[in-house]
Amino acid sequence: MSLITKRTQQPSPAVFAASPRPQLLRREVGNVALEGLDAYYGASRVLQGVSLGFVSGRATAIIGPSGCGKSTLVRCINRMHEEVPGARAAGKVTLDGVDLYDPRIDIVAVRRSIGMVFQKPNPFPTMSVIDNVTAGLRLAGADRGEIEDRGREALVGAGLWDEVKDRLSSPGTGLSGGQQQRLCIARALAVEPEVLLMDEPCSALDPVATLRIEELIGELKERVTIVIVTHNMQQAARVADTTVFMLDGQLVEVGPTEKLFTNPDDERTEQYVTGKFG
Amino acid sequence: MPETRSQYQDELDQLEASALGGLDLVSAALGRTLEAVEHQDVELAQLVVADDDRIDGRYLEVHQALITLLATQSPVATDLRLISAMLHVLKNVERMGDQCVNVCKLIPLSGNEPPSDQTMVELILRMGAQTKALIGQAKRAFADRDVELAQNLVREDDVVDDLNRECFRLALEIGDDADRREWAMTMLLAARAIERTADNAVDIGEQVAFVVTGLFREFEDASHPNP
Repeated sequence: MSLITKRTQQPSPAVFAASPRPQLLRREVGNVALEGLDAYYGASRVLQGVSLGFVSGRATAIIGPSGCGKSTLVRCINRMHEEVPGARAAGKVTLDGVDLYDPRIDIVAVRRSIGMVFQKPNPFPTMSVIDNVTAGLRLAGADRGEIEDRGREALVGAGLWDEVKDRLSSPGTGLSGGQQQRLCIARALAVEPEVLLMDEPCSALDPVATLRIEELIGELKERVTIVIVTHNMQQAARVADTTVFMLDGQLVEVGPTEKLFTNPDDERTEQYVTGKFG
Repeated sequence: MPETRSQYQDELDQLEASALGGLDLVSAALGRTLEAVEHQDVELAQLVVADDDRIDGRYLEVHQALITLLATQSPVATDLRLISAMLHVLKNVERMGDQCVNVCKLIPLSGNEPPSDQTMVELILRMGAQTKALIGQAKRAFADRDVELAQNLVREDDVVDDLNRECFRLALEIGDDADRREWAMTMLLAARAIERTADNAVDIGEQVAFVVTGLFREFEDASHPNP
C-alpha cells in the first residue's frame, strides 16, 4: 500500500510494500513518531511541541483532563484534525519513517494504514453487517473473493464472527451497542491497518461490552499498534503497556502503565491519577 | 484547578488515623503487660488478654473499610501505596497485640511467688520500654512520612536484640535449681515475644519507606544479613 500519490523517491520498504495486499500478521511496522507536533484551532494552539513514539506491538493509552489535547493528538496522527475548518497541524508525524504530512502523501492511504474507532459506534446505517465491514475494501477495488475472505477475517479478528455469522445480511444498526463498536473495529481491521486509533471507544458501552473490547485490544496489539484515548483510568491501567499523561496540550509523563499508576514521577500525574483534579 | 474527591481523601485520612491509633492501643497493652510482668499481676495479665479484642476489632474495622475503599474508589499511585502499607501496619498491630497476649498468658505459669531473678526481670522491662519507644517512633515516622526516622528503627531495635541475647545468657547461667530454670525458660519466651514486637515496629518502618519511595526493601534481611 503506497501512502504517496506520485512516488518520486525510493520508498521505505516496510510501508510501500510492492504487494497490493500486505500480510495481516506483520511485525516491525506500525511505528509512529511525533516530533515537535503543534496543533491549532484557528489561533488557539491546542498541542504544544509534542514529541512521542508509539511502538509496534504495544498498546498506548493517552489520559488527561477534558480539553488537554488527547483527541486532537490522535486525530493529527491520521490527519483527521485538518478536516475541522480552521484547524491545522505543524511539526512532524511519521509512520515507519515516512512523513505523513509530506505534500505528496495520499491522505486516503494514510487513513487506511491508520484506522480509527470513535466514541460512538458509527456503522453505515443503510448497510448490512458484511457490507459495513467490507466497505473500505470495495472502495479500494478488491475482488469479490478477497472481499469475502478479508471481511470474514476482520469479523473473526474483532471477535464478532460467531455472533453475526448467521446474519451477515442484516442491517449493521440492528446489532447491540457493543457489537456495533466491534463491527466498526472490524471495518477498520478489514483494510489491514498498521495502527488503530481508538478515541474513547467504550464510553457508550455497558461494562460487559467494555470488557469485551478491552480483551480485543489485548489480542489486536499483537498485530496492530494501538493508541487509545480514555477518560477511564482503570481502563488505561488494564489495557495499555504504556500510558501518556497530557495536560494543557503538553506531555507531562510517559511511562510503563504500571509505573504511572503506582509511582508516577511527576506530581501533576500523581494529582490527576489519584483524582485530585480533572 | 479545583480539588476533587475531598470526601474520599477525608475517609483515607480517617482510616490512616484509625490504623495508627491501633499502635496506641498496642502501646497501652504493652505497658500493662510490662506492669504485669514486673508485679506478677495475674489479674492485670488477664485484662490484657481480654482487652486484645479491642485491637482485633480495630484491625477488622479498618481492614474492612480499606477493602471497601479499594473496591469503590480504585485508588492508585500514592493512595494505593498508602492503603497497601496500612494493610501491613494493621497486620503488625494485630500481631503485636497477640504478642502482648502471649506474654500475659505466661504470667500465671510462673506462679504467684516465682523464684525470679531480678536482673532478668529488669532486662525484660528494659526490652519492653525500648519496644514501646519503637512503637511510638514507628507511628511518628508513618504519620510524618519520615523515612530517616523509620530507618533509625533498625538501630533502636538492635538494643532490644542485645537485651534479648543478654536474657538468654542469664537463663543459661541461672543455676541448677529446677524451678528457677523453669521460670527462666518461661521468661525467655516472654523476652522472645517482646523482641518480635519490636521487629513488627521495624516492619512498619519499612512500609513508611514504601509509601514515600514506591520501592519496598527490607531494612535488614534476616536471611542474608551480610550482603
